[in-house]
Amino acid sequence: MTALRPYALLAEITYRCPLHCPYCSNPVGASLREASPRSHGGEYSNGELTTEEWKRIIRDAAALGVLQIGFSGGEPLARRDLFSLIRAAREANLYTNLITSGIGLDDDRVRALRDAGLDSIQLSFQSDEPSLADEIAGARAHDSKVKVAAKIRATGIPLSLNFVIHRRNIDRLSQMIDLAEVLGAERVELANVQFYGWAFRNRAALLPTREQVDRARDIAIAAKVRLANKVEIFYVLPDYYETRPKPCLNGWGQRYLTVNPVGDVLPCPTASSAIPDLRFENIRTRDLDSIWRESESFNRFRGTEWMPEPCRSCPQREIDFGGCRCQAALVSGNAANTDPVCEFSSNRGRIDALLDEVNSLHHKIAGWTYRQNPEHVLASP
Amino acid sequence: MRATTISDLARPSLAKGVRLQVDSTTGKNVLLYPEGIVELNETAHDIVACCDGRTLGDIVCHLAEEYEVDGNALAADVRDTLSDLQQRRLIEFK
Repeated sequence: MTALRPYALLAEITYRCPLHCPYCSNPVGASLREASPRSHGGEYSNGELTTEEWKRIIRDAAALGVLQIGFSGGEPLARRDLFSLIRAAREANLYTNLITSGIGLDDDRVRALRDAGLDSIQLSFQSDEPSLADEIAGARAHDSKVKVAAKIRATGIPLSLNFVIHRRNIDRLSQMIDLAEVLGAERVELANVQFYGWAFRNRAALLPTREQVDRARDIAIAAKVRLANKVEIFYVLPDYYETRPKPCLNGWGQRYLTVNPVGDVLPCPTASSAIPDLRFENIRTRDLDSIWRESESFNRFRGTEWMPEPCRSCPQREIDFGGCRCQAALVSGNAANTDPVCEFSSNRGRIDALLDEVNSLHHKIAGWTYRQNPEHVLASP
Repeated sequence: MRATTISDLARPSLAKGVRLQVDSTTGKNVLLYPEGIVELNETAHDIVACCDGRTLGDIVCHLAEEYEVDGNALAADVRDTLSDLQQRRLIEFK
C-alpha cells in the first residue's frame, strides 16, 4: 500500500473580493473569528498569512507530494504578492492555476502573470449578459471581464471560463456557452451552485427548478457535441436533484489540501465554517506534513471506519465515500451522517422539502443576501 | 479522429496548457493539465517524449529502432496511445 499524499493544494490567499456574489462558498462572516489566530507581526495586519509564510507552505506542500496549486480566494489579485507566489510555485515545480474574477487585471499584470510562469487561468463570469451579470455580482464587473478575457488570450495562457449556474441564470446556458466560444476559451465550466457558505444561506433564491435543470442538461450535452474540437465543456449537475451523493474530494484527506487566508489547513475549503465542532490546525503552530498525516481533522473522516449506516454496509462506500461531510453537517447538523442527498439517508426529507418548495407553482422566488467582505472580522484587535 | 485515420505526416504535440514532468514522489512520468493529472506508463511516456515536432512516421521509426521491433506492428500501438491522449485533450496534431 502506498502512503497517502496530497496531489493538489488550494491556496485561498485572501477572502477580500471586489464582487459580492450571493453563492460565494467563503465562510459567512463570524465563524472565521474563532478559527483565526492573531497576526504575528507580518505585513498583513488583517491576520492574513505573510508572503514568506505562503512560500514556506508552497515548498512544504511540494515536498509532501503536491503537484498542482490553485490560487483562489476571495480575489487572489487583491494581494500584490500573487506574482511572487506564482513564481515560487513554479520553482517548486507545481502546476499553477489562478482562479479569479479578473477585476484589476490590466495589460501589465496579465503579462506579469505570464512571465511568472502561470500555467492556466480560470476566469469567473456571472452570466453572458451585462445587466444580469452585474446584478448577480453586486458590482459593475462584466464588461471589464470581457476585456480581460481578450488580454489573457493575447498572452497565450490557457483560459477557462467558469460560470456558477443557479435559478436566475440557468435559462441562459446556451448564451453563456456562446460567450465562451466567442472569447476563445479552451474550456468552459458550467457548475450548478453547491450549497456552502453564502450559497447555503441563499438556497431558496438560488436552487433552480427541475424543469430548468432538465433543459440545461440537454443544452450542455448538445453543445458538447457541437463544440467537440473547439471548447471543452464541463457541466456539473446540482446535487440536490441527484439521488446519490457526489464523491466529495475523492474522499476526505485523500488527495486535497486547502490553506485559508489565516493559515488554517483544511481537508476542504468549506469545512471550517460548515463543521464548527472539528478543530482545524494552523500552519503557524504546526507543520504541514504532520497536519496532513496525523491531525484529528484530517483523520476524522478518512477511509470507511467512521461511516454510520447506511454507508457502512453500502456497496457504493468506496465510490462516493458517503458524499460530502460539509453538506451532512449543514443540512443534518452532524458531519458524520450520510450525505442527505443520498436516497438512503434518513435526512433526505430535508432536501426534498426544499425541492418541493422551489418547484411549487405558488413559489415566489426569494431574494438573496449579497456576500460581504470579512475584513471587519479579520481585523486585528 | 479515429486512431487509424491519423496520418503518418501528422505532427503530435502536447496540447496547450499541458506539462510533462516527473512526479518526484513516485518517480513516474505524469501529464499535468488545468484540472488534473494523468500518470503515464513507460511506453506512453516514450511516445509523448517524442512529441516535439516530429511526424508520427518518424516517431514510429525511432521507437521501432529503440525497442528493436517491427515498425508496422508498433505503429498501431503508437496511434492508439496518441488518439487516446488526443481525446482527453492532452495531445493535439498539427
